[in-house]
Amino acid sequence: MTNLDWLKRAAQRSTTEPGLLGQVFATYQTLEHCSPEALADELGCNEQTLQMLALCRKPTGEVFAEQVKAICERFGLAPLALVNVLRQVEIMGEMETTAANDSGRGVARLQLAARDRSRKDKPTP
Amino acid sequence: MNSPSRKRGWDLHERMMSHDSTATFDVFMTFMGPLIRALERNLGCSYDEANACAADAVYAYVRHPERFDASKASLSTFLTQIAKHKAQDSYRSSTARNRREQDPRTIFEVHPPAPNISLEERVDIKQRLDRLVQRIEGAGLPERDLAGIRVIFAEERCSMESMAEALGLSHLPQEEMRQAVRRHTDRLKKILKRLCKEDLDDES
Repeated sequence: MTNLDWLKRAAQRSTTEPGLLGQVFATYQTLEHCSPEALADELGCNEQTLQMLALCRKPTGEVFAEQVKAICERFGLAPLALVNVLRQVEIMGEMETTAANDSGRGVARLQLAARDRSRKDKPTP
Repeated sequence: MNSPSRKRGWDLHERMMSHDSTATFDVFMTFMGPLIRALERNLGCSYDEANACAADAVYAYVRHPERFDASKASLSTFLTQIAKHKAQDSYRSSTARNRREQDPRTIFEVHPPAPNISLEERVDIKQRLDRLVQRIEGAGLPERDLAGIRVIFAEERCSMESMAEALGLSHLPQEEMRQAVRRHTDRLKKILKRLCKEDLDDES
Protein backbone atom coordinates (compact mmCIF):
# COMPACT_ATOMS: atom_id res chain seq x y z
CA MET A 1 0.00 0.00 0.00
CA THR A 2 1.26 3.48 -0.79
CA ASN A 3 2.40 5.51 2.19
CA LEU A 4 0.80 8.97 1.94
CA ASP A 5 2.11 10.53 5.16
CA TRP A 6 3.48 13.44 3.13
CA LEU A 7 0.15 14.23 1.47
CA LYS A 8 -1.37 16.43 4.15
CA ARG A 9 1.63 18.78 4.33
CA ALA A 10 2.03 18.94 0.58
CA ALA A 11 -1.65 19.85 0.28
CA GLN A 12 -1.35 22.51 3.00
CA ARG A 13 1.51 24.03 1.08
CA SER A 14 -0.49 24.06 -2.12
CA THR A 15 -2.77 26.74 -0.62
CA THR A 16 -0.13 29.33 -1.48
CA GLU A 17 0.87 27.89 -4.86
CA PRO A 18 -0.65 29.82 -7.75
CA GLY A 19 -2.01 27.55 -10.43
CA LEU A 20 -2.91 24.65 -8.17
CA LEU A 21 -6.37 23.71 -7.00
CA GLY A 22 -5.16 23.95 -3.39
CA GLN A 23 -5.06 27.72 -3.73
CA VAL A 24 -8.56 27.77 -5.23
CA PHE A 25 -9.87 25.64 -2.35
CA ALA A 26 -8.21 27.88 0.25
CA THR A 27 -9.79 30.97 -1.33
CA TYR A 28 -13.18 29.27 -1.49
CA GLN A 29 -12.95 28.22 2.17
CA THR A 30 -12.15 31.80 3.16
CA LEU A 31 -15.00 33.24 1.10
CA GLU A 32 -17.52 30.68 2.28
CA HIS A 33 -16.15 30.31 5.82
CA CYS A 34 -16.19 26.56 5.38
CA SER A 35 -13.95 23.81 6.73
CA PRO A 36 -12.07 21.25 4.62
CA GLU A 37 -14.68 18.67 5.68
CA ALA A 38 -17.49 20.89 4.41
CA LEU A 39 -15.70 21.50 1.12
CA ALA A 40 -15.02 17.79 0.69
CA ASP A 41 -18.74 17.14 1.31
CA GLU A 42 -19.65 19.74 -1.25
CA LEU A 43 -17.39 18.14 -3.84
CA GLY A 44 -18.64 14.69 -2.93
CA CYS A 45 -15.34 13.23 -1.75
CA ASN A 46 -13.44 12.52 1.45
CA GLU A 47 -10.69 14.69 2.96
CA GLN A 48 -7.84 12.61 1.57
CA THR A 49 -9.22 12.97 -1.94
CA LEU A 50 -9.57 16.71 -1.31
CA GLN A 51 -5.85 16.80 -0.44
CA MET A 52 -5.05 14.91 -3.64
CA LEU A 53 -7.20 17.30 -5.67
CA ALA A 54 -5.33 20.22 -4.12
CA LEU A 55 -2.17 19.03 -5.90
CA CYS A 56 -3.80 19.17 -9.35
CA ARG A 57 -3.51 22.10 -11.72
CA LYS A 58 -6.39 24.55 -11.76
CA PRO A 59 -8.44 24.07 -14.96
CA THR A 60 -8.20 27.19 -17.06
CA GLY A 61 -8.47 28.67 -20.53
CA GLU A 62 -9.78 26.95 -23.61
CA VAL A 63 -9.23 23.50 -22.19
CA PHE A 64 -11.18 24.24 -19.00
CA ALA A 65 -13.95 21.71 -19.70
CA GLU A 66 -11.52 19.03 -20.80
CA GLN A 67 -9.41 19.52 -17.66
CA VAL A 68 -12.42 19.47 -15.35
CA LYS A 69 -13.57 16.23 -16.99
CA ALA A 70 -10.15 14.63 -16.58
CA ILE A 71 -9.97 15.56 -12.89
CA CYS A 72 -13.52 14.40 -12.18
CA GLU A 73 -13.01 11.09 -13.95
CA ARG A 74 -9.79 10.49 -12.10
CA PHE A 75 -11.21 11.21 -8.64
CA GLY A 76 -14.81 10.19 -9.17
CA LEU A 77 -16.35 13.63 -8.70
CA ALA A 78 -19.45 15.24 -10.13
CA PRO A 79 -18.19 17.96 -12.52
CA LEU A 80 -20.89 20.44 -11.52
CA ALA A 81 -19.68 20.67 -7.91
CA LEU A 82 -16.09 21.35 -8.95
CA VAL A 83 -17.14 23.87 -11.60
CA ASN A 84 -19.27 25.71 -9.01
CA VAL A 85 -16.27 26.08 -6.71
CA LEU A 86 -13.97 27.18 -9.53
CA ARG A 87 -16.45 29.69 -10.95
CA GLN A 88 -17.31 31.16 -7.57
CA VAL A 89 -13.65 31.77 -6.75
CA GLU A 90 -13.05 33.20 -10.22
CA ILE A 91 -16.06 35.53 -10.06
CA MET A 92 -15.27 36.68 -6.54
CA GLY A 93 -11.66 37.33 -7.52
CA GLU A 94 -12.76 39.50 -10.44
CA MET A 95 -15.37 41.32 -8.36
CA GLU A 96 -12.96 42.02 -5.55
CA THR A 97 -10.33 43.29 -7.95
CA THR A 98 -12.88 45.63 -9.51
CA ALA A 99 -14.10 46.71 -6.10
CA ALA A 100 -10.55 47.32 -4.89
CA ASN A 101 -9.89 49.43 -7.98
CA ASP A 102 -12.99 51.45 -7.07
CA SER A 103 -11.32 52.40 -3.79
CA GLY A 104 -12.62 49.28 -2.07
CA ARG A 105 -15.97 50.72 -1.10
CA GLY A 106 -18.07 47.97 -2.61
CA VAL A 107 -16.21 44.88 -1.39
CA ALA A 108 -18.60 43.95 1.39
CA ARG A 109 -21.61 44.62 -0.84
CA LEU A 110 -20.17 42.49 -3.64
CA GLN A 111 -19.39 39.65 -1.28
CA LEU A 112 -22.98 39.67 -0.10
CA ALA A 113 -24.22 39.81 -3.66
CA ALA A 114 -22.08 36.84 -4.66
CA ARG A 115 -23.18 34.88 -1.63
CA ASP A 116 -26.79 35.46 -2.61
CA ARG A 117 -26.13 33.40 -5.70
CA SER A 118 -24.61 30.47 -3.83
CA ARG A 119 -25.60 26.81 -3.70
CA LYS A 120 -29.11 27.60 -2.50
CA ASP A 121 -29.85 29.13 -5.87
CA LYS A 122 -29.11 26.01 -7.87
CA PRO A 123 -31.94 25.41 -10.29
CA THR A 124 -34.34 22.76 -9.10
CA PRO A 125 -34.85 19.88 -11.48
CA MET B 1 10.27 0.71 -3.62
CA ASN B 2 12.84 1.57 -6.31
CA SER B 3 13.14 5.04 -7.76
CA PRO B 4 10.81 5.60 -10.72
CA SER B 5 12.16 4.57 -14.12
CA ARG B 6 13.50 7.00 -16.69
CA LYS B 7 10.56 6.17 -18.94
CA ARG B 8 8.05 6.92 -16.18
CA GLY B 9 9.74 10.27 -15.54
CA TRP B 10 9.78 11.10 -19.23
CA ASP B 11 6.05 10.32 -19.58
CA LEU B 12 5.24 12.50 -16.59
CA HIS B 13 7.35 15.34 -17.93
CA GLU B 14 5.51 15.18 -21.26
CA ARG B 15 2.23 15.42 -19.41
CA MET B 16 3.57 18.33 -17.31
CA MET B 17 4.44 20.21 -20.48
CA SER B 18 0.93 19.70 -21.85
CA HIS B 19 -2.41 20.87 -20.41
CA ASP B 20 -2.80 17.75 -18.26
CA SER B 21 -4.34 18.88 -14.97
CA THR B 22 -3.59 15.72 -13.03
CA ALA B 23 0.08 15.53 -14.05
CA THR B 24 1.18 17.60 -11.04
CA PHE B 25 -0.61 15.22 -8.69
CA ASP B 26 1.06 12.23 -10.38
CA VAL B 27 4.48 13.84 -10.02
CA PHE B 28 3.88 14.12 -6.26
CA MET B 29 2.54 10.56 -6.06
CA THR B 30 5.46 9.15 -8.04
CA PHE B 31 8.36 11.00 -6.48
CA MET B 32 7.58 12.11 -2.92
CA GLY B 33 7.95 8.65 -1.37
CA PRO B 34 11.24 7.74 -3.09
CA LEU B 35 12.70 11.22 -2.45
CA ILE B 36 11.84 11.11 1.25
CA ARG B 37 13.37 7.64 1.60
CA ALA B 38 16.52 8.66 -0.29
CA LEU B 39 17.04 11.70 1.96
CA GLU B 40 16.45 9.66 5.11
CA ARG B 41 18.75 6.85 4.00
CA ASN B 42 21.55 8.74 2.28
CA LEU B 43 21.71 12.02 4.19
CA GLY B 44 20.36 10.89 7.55
CA CYS B 45 17.54 13.45 7.47
CA SER B 46 14.65 13.14 9.90
CA TYR B 47 11.29 12.31 8.32
CA ASP B 48 10.11 15.92 8.70
CA GLU B 49 13.26 17.37 7.12
CA ALA B 50 13.14 14.84 4.30
CA ASN B 51 9.45 15.59 3.71
CA ALA B 52 10.06 19.36 3.57
CA CYS B 53 13.06 19.06 1.22
CA ALA B 54 11.32 16.55 -1.06
CA ALA B 55 8.31 18.90 -1.27
CA ASP B 56 10.67 21.82 -2.03
CA ALA B 57 12.11 19.85 -4.94
CA VAL B 58 8.79 18.74 -6.37
CA TYR B 59 7.24 22.20 -6.03
CA ALA B 60 10.28 23.75 -7.72
CA TYR B 61 9.74 21.40 -10.67
CA VAL B 62 5.96 21.89 -10.73
CA ARG B 63 6.44 25.68 -10.90
CA HIS B 64 8.97 25.49 -13.74
CA PRO B 65 8.88 22.13 -15.52
CA GLU B 66 10.58 23.73 -18.52
CA ARG B 67 13.81 23.95 -16.52
CA PHE B 68 14.19 20.19 -16.61
CA ASP B 69 16.28 19.02 -19.55
CA ALA B 70 15.43 15.40 -20.26
CA SER B 71 18.54 14.99 -22.41
CA LYS B 72 20.81 15.58 -19.42
CA ALA B 73 19.32 13.39 -16.69
CA SER B 74 16.26 11.44 -15.68
CA LEU B 75 13.51 13.30 -13.84
CA SER B 76 14.24 11.14 -10.81
CA THR B 77 17.91 12.21 -10.77
CA PHE B 78 16.96 15.84 -11.37
CA LEU B 79 14.53 15.91 -8.43
CA THR B 80 16.89 13.97 -6.17
CA GLN B 81 19.65 16.50 -6.84
CA ILE B 82 17.38 19.43 -5.97
CA ALA B 83 16.13 17.70 -2.82
CA LYS B 84 19.69 16.88 -1.71
CA HIS B 85 20.82 20.47 -2.24
CA LYS B 86 17.83 21.69 -0.22
CA ALA B 87 18.68 19.25 2.57
CA GLN B 88 22.35 20.27 2.57
CA ASP B 89 21.46 23.99 2.63
CA SER B 90 19.02 23.40 5.45
CA TYR B 91 21.64 21.41 7.42
CA ARG B 92 24.32 24.07 6.90
CA SER B 93 22.10 26.95 7.98
CA SER B 94 20.76 25.12 11.03
CA THR B 95 24.28 24.08 12.09
CA ALA B 96 25.59 27.62 11.71
CA ARG B 97 22.61 28.99 13.55
CA ASN B 98 22.95 26.51 16.43
CA ARG B 99 26.60 27.40 16.72
CA ARG B 100 25.83 31.11 16.83
CA GLU B 101 23.09 30.57 19.37
CA GLN B 102 25.41 28.61 21.62
CA ASP B 103 28.02 31.34 21.78
CA PRO B 104 27.37 35.01 21.03
CA ARG B 105 31.12 35.53 20.72
CA THR B 106 30.91 33.96 17.28
CA ILE B 107 29.58 37.36 16.20
CA PHE B 108 33.28 38.10 15.77
CA GLU B 109 33.32 35.47 13.02
CA VAL B 110 29.83 36.12 11.70
CA HIS B 111 30.27 39.88 11.42
CA PRO B 112 34.05 40.38 11.51
CA PRO B 113 35.39 43.89 12.08
CA ALA B 114 36.55 45.91 9.09
CA PRO B 115 39.67 44.39 7.53
CA ASN B 116 41.60 47.67 7.55
CA ILE B 117 41.79 47.99 11.36
CA SER B 118 45.01 47.21 13.16
CA LEU B 119 45.70 44.02 15.06
CA GLU B 120 45.65 45.98 18.34
CA GLU B 121 42.17 47.36 17.59
CA ARG B 122 41.00 43.90 16.58
CA VAL B 123 42.23 42.44 19.89
CA ASP B 124 40.59 45.33 21.76
CA ILE B 125 37.22 44.65 20.10
CA LYS B 126 37.52 40.96 20.92
CA GLN B 127 38.31 41.74 24.57
CA ARG B 128 35.38 44.14 24.85
CA LEU B 129 33.11 41.53 23.37
CA ASP B 130 34.38 38.90 25.84
CA ARG B 131 33.73 41.28 28.73
CA LEU B 132 30.25 42.08 27.43
CA VAL B 133 29.43 38.37 27.17
CA GLN B 134 30.61 37.90 30.76
CA ARG B 135 28.37 40.75 31.85
CA ILE B 136 25.41 39.30 29.99
CA GLU B 137 26.01 35.89 31.53
CA GLY B 138 26.40 37.43 34.97
CA ALA B 139 23.31 39.62 34.72
CA GLY B 140 20.99 36.85 35.85
CA LEU B 141 18.77 37.20 32.82
CA PRO B 142 16.17 34.49 32.18
CA GLU B 143 17.03 31.92 29.53
CA ARG B 144 14.42 33.40 27.20
CA ASP B 145 16.12 36.81 27.26
CA LEU B 146 19.51 35.20 26.68
CA ALA B 147 18.08 33.39 23.65
CA GLY B 148 16.76 36.72 22.32
CA ILE B 149 20.12 38.41 22.90
CA ARG B 150 21.84 35.58 21.01
CA VAL B 151 19.61 36.32 18.01
CA ILE B 152 20.43 40.06 18.23
CA PHE B 153 24.13 39.18 18.30
CA ALA B 154 24.01 36.57 15.60
CA GLU B 155 21.85 38.24 12.97
CA GLU B 156 22.74 41.58 11.54
CA ARG B 157 19.05 42.35 11.01
CA CYS B 158 17.35 39.96 13.38
CA SER B 159 14.26 38.62 11.65
CA MET B 160 10.90 38.57 13.36
CA GLU B 161 10.67 34.79 12.88
CA SER B 162 14.05 34.07 14.52
CA MET B 163 13.27 36.39 17.41
CA ALA B 164 9.78 34.96 17.90
CA GLU B 165 11.21 31.45 17.94
CA ALA B 166 13.92 32.39 20.45
CA LEU B 167 11.43 34.14 22.73
CA GLY B 168 8.84 31.37 22.44
CA LEU B 169 6.29 33.61 20.75
CA SER B 170 5.87 31.68 17.50
CA HIS B 171 2.45 30.40 18.53
CA LEU B 172 0.90 33.88 18.64
CA PRO B 173 -1.21 35.26 15.78
CA GLN B 174 0.90 37.21 13.28
CA GLU B 175 0.03 40.74 14.38
CA GLU B 176 0.21 39.95 18.08
CA MET B 177 3.54 38.20 17.52
CA ARG B 178 4.93 41.21 15.63
CA GLN B 179 4.03 43.57 18.45
CA ALA B 180 5.40 41.27 21.16
CA VAL B 181 8.65 40.71 19.26
CA ARG B 182 9.11 44.46 18.77
CA ARG B 183 8.46 45.13 22.45
CA HIS B 184 10.88 42.43 23.63
CA THR B 185 13.56 43.39 21.10
CA ASP B 186 13.47 47.01 22.26
CA ARG B 187 13.67 45.86 25.88
CA LEU B 188 16.63 43.54 25.19
CA LYS B 189 18.46 46.24 23.23
CA LYS B 190 18.06 48.59 26.20
CA ILE B 191 19.53 45.92 28.49
CA LEU B 192 22.45 45.45 26.10
CA LYS B 193 22.99 49.20 25.91
CA ARG B 194 23.05 49.42 29.70
CA LEU B 195 25.54 46.54 29.98
CA CYS B 196 27.79 48.14 27.34
CA LYS B 197 27.64 51.45 29.19
CA GLU B 198 28.55 49.77 32.46
CA ASP B 199 31.55 48.18 30.77
CA LEU B 200 32.72 51.56 29.44
CA ASP B 201 32.16 53.20 32.86
CA ASP B 202 34.21 50.47 34.59
CA GLU B 203 36.97 50.87 32.05
CA SER B 204 37.29 54.64 32.50
